[in-house]
Amino acid sequence: MNKVVFSSWGGRVVDNRLGTDTGVENLELPLEYDGHRVRAFMSWQGLVVVDDKVNVVDMAHSYLKEVQKLSCGECSVGYLGVRVMLDILTKILSGKGVEKDIDLLRWLGTGIKANTKCDFCSLSVTPILDTLNHYDGEYTKLIASKRAVPESVYITRVTAPCMEMCPAHQDAPGYIELIRNHRYEEALELIRGTNCFPGMTGRACVAFCETNCVRSDIDNPIAVRALKRVAADYEMTSGSEPEFEERKATGAKVAVIGAGPAGLTASYRLVLMGYKVTIYDERASAGGMALVGIPSFRLPRDVLEREVDIIKKLGIEVKLNTRVGKDITLEQLSSQGFKAIFIAIGAHMGRELGIEVEGRGMIDGVEFLHDVNMGKEVTVKNRVIIVGGGNVAIDCARTCLRLGFKDVTIVYRRSRVEMPARTEEIEAAEQEGVKITFLAAPVRALTEGGEVTGVECIRMELGEPDASGRRRPIPVKGSEFIIETDVVIPAIGEKPDLSLIEGKPINITKQGTVAIDPSSCQTNQPEVFAGGDCVTGPATLIEAIAVGNRVARSIDQFLQSGKVTSPIEYMVENWLHDVALNRQRDGNIVAKQPRQTAEQLSIPDRVLNFNEVEQSLTYEAAAKEAERCLRCYRVMLLATASEE
Amino acid sequence: MVKLTIDDKVVKAEEDWTILDAAIQAGIHIPTLCAHESLSRVGACRVCVVEIKPNGESNLTTACNYPVEAGLEVRTNSGKVMEARRLAVELLLAQRPHSAKIQKLARKLGIEEPSFTLKESECILCELCVRACREIVGVEAITFIAQGKDRDVDEATVVHSLEECIGCDSCAYVCPTEAITVDDVDDTRTISTPSGQLEFKLKKCKVCGKYWAPEKQLEYIIEKWKLEPEIFDTCPDCRD
Repeated sequence: MNKVVFSSWGGRVVDNRLGTDTGVENLELPLEYDGHRVRAFMSWQGLVVVDDKVNVVDMAHSYLKEVQKLSCGECSVGYLGVRVMLDILTKILSGKGVEKDIDLLRWLGTGIKANTKCDFCSLSVTPILDTLNHYDGEYTKLIASKRAVPESVYITRVTAPCMEMCPAHQDAPGYIELIRNHRYEEALELIRGTNCFPGMTGRACVAFCETNCVRSDIDNPIAVRALKRVAADYEMTSGSEPEFEERKATGAKVAVIGAGPAGLTASYRLVLMGYKVTIYDERASAGGMALVGIPSFRLPRDVLEREVDIIKKLGIEVKLNTRVGKDITLEQLSSQGFKAIFIAIGAHMGRELGIEVEGRGMIDGVEFLHDVNMGKEVTVKNRVIIVGGGNVAIDCARTCLRLGFKDVTIVYRRSRVEMPARTEEIEAAEQEGVKITFLAAPVRALTEGGEVTGVECIRMELGEPDASGRRRPIPVKGSEFIIETDVVIPAIGEKPDLSLIEGKPINITKQGTVAIDPSSCQTNQPEVFAGGDCVTGPATLIEAIAVGNRVARSIDQFLQSGKVTSPIEYMVENWLHDVALNRQRDGNIVAKQPRQTAEQLSIPDRVLNFNEVEQSLTYEAAAKEAERCLRCYRVMLLATASEE
Repeated sequence: MVKLTIDDKVVKAEEDWTILDAAIQAGIHIPTLCAHESLSRVGACRVCVVEIKPNGESNLTTACNYPVEAGLEVRTNSGKVMEARRLAVELLLAQRPHSAKIQKLARKLGIEEPSFTLKESECILCELCVRACREIVGVEAITFIAQGKDRDVDEATVVHSLEECIGCDSCAYVCPTEAITVDDVDDTRTISTPSGQLEFKLKKCKVCGKYWAPEKQLEYIIEKWKLEPEIFDTCPDCRD
């Protein structure tokens, strides 16, 4: 139970100032983080006071100062109203307030709440109104004293439900607003601040942001991914290149192992900080899993190559066809003067199906995608079975159709709702003609003369949820059945190939991934960092980008000071994560507007080639889509006792 | 066709209309500032605020861009509406006290003077110029620069680009606060905007010798409509 002096959090008022001590149950707000006491907190859901010595009027002023910076200017009441409120608060705190200012503030706050274009200003004034309604005595006292109050220092943070959900915390409301105003170059500059692959993620991102979009509670989430693509495609089609500030390569040498999204992102950040970066990759081209794992009908090669080239051109040395652990060892890298090493080798080894197979006709999913994407010859037959329910399985199935397989079936052991693949991808696959057999798993492969001829499967039913939260599949006794096929492609997950550190003093987890300290991304050897799929197991493009950003920051800290510490902002970031994910708004009416969708190639136009299926939104559609964004920024202000 | 109620009057509206469209058709006056019949609606000025009860619950919204719904109950002058409209107009008046249009809106609401002061600005960010340039002229010479997270912007502004601008004066025509003005002197047109002055050379009529339109605008029209360049050698008055 949290003891507070006052709370209006979530609209529920608890007031203990008269000596009552009711506490607050279920206040979804921890009042301590990493040993630091929270004295008071202010955000869109209200005001929480733990220590009654804080000056709530000063807090309201500092908070509104941050709000004012974000108030966009697209509506008069929000933009001007917040300015007037801030002016009045400044006046009161400088000892020049008058009694009627309190009513004026209240009138402005109520008016802003009722009549703004988006959610930002109207939600932001909530805690200010709470101070006016519950701490009006403080205002009166301050005004009567005619004395100026010195400004205190607070920790402030700006986030939004979409930003918080994105592993890289991209400023989606920010670039959406720029796209609305047709300012694509600036939108891209903003995107590149946290994501150096706008074109790639504009196509192949799973878009966690869209799953936590406030708009989804009204009609449909904003098409954030498609909007990002519009900005990226604008630059690409206009033939322009991003501009970067002049920088001197004066820093230490850093080696990055793996030219995938994580390794490239970290390299990009580090080279912009002035470090000399060399990337090693065993393949003949850079791109990692984005290159070998995502088919070109979802991510055209020229888009990928262009974004990799932009990074390379910053002055990064990329040593391809070089496998660390075989062509060069980790020790040799250290002796060559690399002061920090980032292991970002991904997870490219397919997990085995665990059924006996003798004979040709079995190829692992990742290997299959790799072969097709790298232009290798693959055997095309009539029928194929793909085992698994993730994006790799769906990509394999859609690739098989395009190669000329006539009969493509996915076998998945759970039901449709448990499928980890993106819904749009599953639907696209089915529209193209892929069949899915749910609640079945292979138990035995049938062969004839050295060739696969079929798979014996068993029916499953769903039991209790397992560790992943999904219902566990249980075999139904005696339900075996046979599916005839010519090729079997298991796509049931991947694991990293850690041979480069096997036998070295770098710890490996029980799951067969690289062990790291999650806050610093350091392995047990302080100068060796690791991140991406080789740490987490198979994950997403945006998670790799996020970890690349984080590792670059850690490596910079390590090379500057010898150690990696979490600054207070990051502690606060973790502390406020759950609060910031909250999608609650205050019920102001928003007219339903349909989500804009991009053109797709027709089914006959796409199934016999690898042309990109989804097209870009038109600029008009993009502006219309951007107009739907409610700009759910949340300013959070925290009075802490950390200085004590 | 859908039926809705505005101030207790049953009103018929096309399905793709907004509340404002329906009100105009029914002869019910709702004050506006940033709405224009030929341009998209953005709800920037908040003056056309009305009260609606879509599911029994009272809410404020802007009439200009809220789509009509069957059975929707709209109030254009309830106490709640008048209070919200008053704040919107007071804020605009404080920002642009000399605008005749805003003064007129204020007078109708009985506002003599705003209850507060605000840094004055000719431009009230209604975006009418941005929309006119983009949607009517088909040029993108005016950009809305908003404030935002980590933006190096002290104030939201509207910026004209000389490179893109063809000097047509549509922006000045729609501007409700005279923040954009046009002045033709001899062979030069000067467009004064919040982001500075733009100058354009005017074309002389071969017949009467009058300077009658910006050369850049005429070139734009010739190219857009694939016209013969000579067509604009004479002004419309001297053309037969």
